[in-house]
Amino acid sequence: MRPDRTPWVLGAILAVLLVVGPFAPLWVVFPVTIAIAKGLVALGLMILLRCGLVSFGQALYYCIGAYTAGMLGRVFELDGVFTLMLAGMAVAAATAYVLGFLLARYRGIFFGLLSLAFSMIFYGLLVKSETLGSTDGFNVLPSTLFGIRPADEWVRYAVLAAASSVAFVAALLVHRYLRTPLGSLAPAIKDNEIRVEYMGASARYAIHVKYVIAAALAGLGGGLAATTVGHIDPEMAYWTVSGEFVFITILAGTGNVIAPFLGALIFEGIRNVAFAVSPNTWQMVLGGALLAVIVFLPNGLWSLFRRGRAA
Amino acid sequence: MLRVEGVDVSIQAVQILRSVTLELPTGSVAGLIGRNGAGKTTLMKSIMGLLKVSRGAIGFDGADLLARPVHARARMGIGYMPEDRRLIPDLTVQENLLVPAWAAKLPDAAARLEKVYQLIPEIRHFAPRKGLQISGGQQKLVAIGRALMCGDRLLLLDEPFEGVAPALAHRLVEVVGNLKKEGMSMILSESDLQHSERMVDRIIVIDRGAVSMKN
Repeated sequence: MRPDRTPWVLGAILAVLLVVGPFAPLWVVFPVTIAIAKGLVALGLMILLRCGLVSFGQALYYCIGAYTAGMLGRVFELDGVFTLMLAGMAVAAATAYVLGFLLARYRGIFFGLLSLAFSMIFYGLLVKSETLGSTDGFNVLPSTLFGIRPADEWVRYAVLAAASSVAFVAALLVHRYLRTPLGSLAPAIKDNEIRVEYMGASARYAIHVKYVIAAALAGLGGGLAATTVGHIDPEMAYWTVSGEFVFITILAGTGNVIAPFLGALIFEGIRNVAFAVSPNTWQMVLGGALLAVIVFLPNGLWSLFRRGRAA
Repeated sequence: MLRVEGVDVSIQAVQILRSVTLELPTGSVAGLIGRNGAGKTTLMKSIMGLLKVSRGAIGFDGADLLARPVHARARMGIGYMPEDRRLIPDLTVQENLLVPAWAAKLPDAAARLEKVYQLIPEIRHFAPRKGLQISGGQQKLVAIGRALMCGDRLLLLDEPFEGVAPALAHRLVEVVGNLKKEGMSMILSESDLQHSERMVDRIIVIDRGAVSMKN
């Protein structure tokens, strides 16, 4: 059996981010932090995709995570970056737990569209809500790290360090989860759900659990995005944002927990470069990149590493 | 003891099973014999819970099976091997065998796996290969092994001898015979008595959804 190198690789990536972070220019630190936030959402989507489910509404939990972080600052003046992220995660997970009773009954296009519908309902509620800033949203309090407000030149690095530490723990836990009995069932559920039932597992329960985990990760990512950007608005729940997450997950592939973060980083890279080079047609560049990946690497970017290992 | 009483089952408004009543005492083996379309698979799926029973009762060792979902029935020790084998193509043979252990969270998975390997030693040879890399007959052996992982009290084997080469069918008869010696309760379906005649304690004849028992 091949030794499990993923925890070591994750640890090495964390070490690189922590060591190189202070010397990296701002234009690198910011997109990397945002890529980590989106990578967390894609990590959750990966869990769902492994059992054949595509949620087109993950932006719901991303936005819930962000608004939870924003509201905690606004109402209770809480500003600890870990507190905000974990609170976003908890509220997203609790919401998914409730909605999961309904969603876990559906599969395929019905699951996808129902999840999309919930995110658009939330978007509509936020847009109509004057107290939450309607379409403009509102600013999030500058965050602190263990009660200390870093100096201006260190703020970005502090958020990056917190983000990469949290993402490291999340990726490690998901990696472990995928090796547990419930996590290992994903290919079996994807292949034939009825078979899993007559072998002794409730597929609906397994999907419910996966849905809650995916939402928790999206909430964590949303809380992180809110503290990184410093501003939140209802667009975070819009269907195009959900589409971005699905885009990243498909681009990355479902082979390993590192893949969603790599996918998010490449997505942010392509988008930033495409936007700088051709501001009016950057979506076309992104579309072309996704098409190329689907045609040449149908199992996502991660299959490049698989091929390398097999050769 | 499995007890099926007056069971009716319909699929999309077409009645398939008509007032089916049968009993299978613990440790006995029944052959479920009938032509294609007689209702053999429907009866097995109904016992397993994969089809809804519109009338009647199914009990197993005193418990009401109809009150339990499919996965709970599997956890009671009822193993089901569907006719089309249904191995997971991307998992290895050993992983395919372990899926029921993962699904039902069996604490003694390693011991059960070892028992399957002892009962059907040839599986051990192709255990590292993927489900899609083994022949149809080998898949049948693995599917029986997989049903055994959960099913330590009752096995429902749907057409175990169908579509396999004569030598392998002979081997399957041996495997089923060994299980019988171990005291396993089993229902195995076949279109005629070609393979099962020598090993069954009773014959359940099914025709157009109605059964008649012979001892």
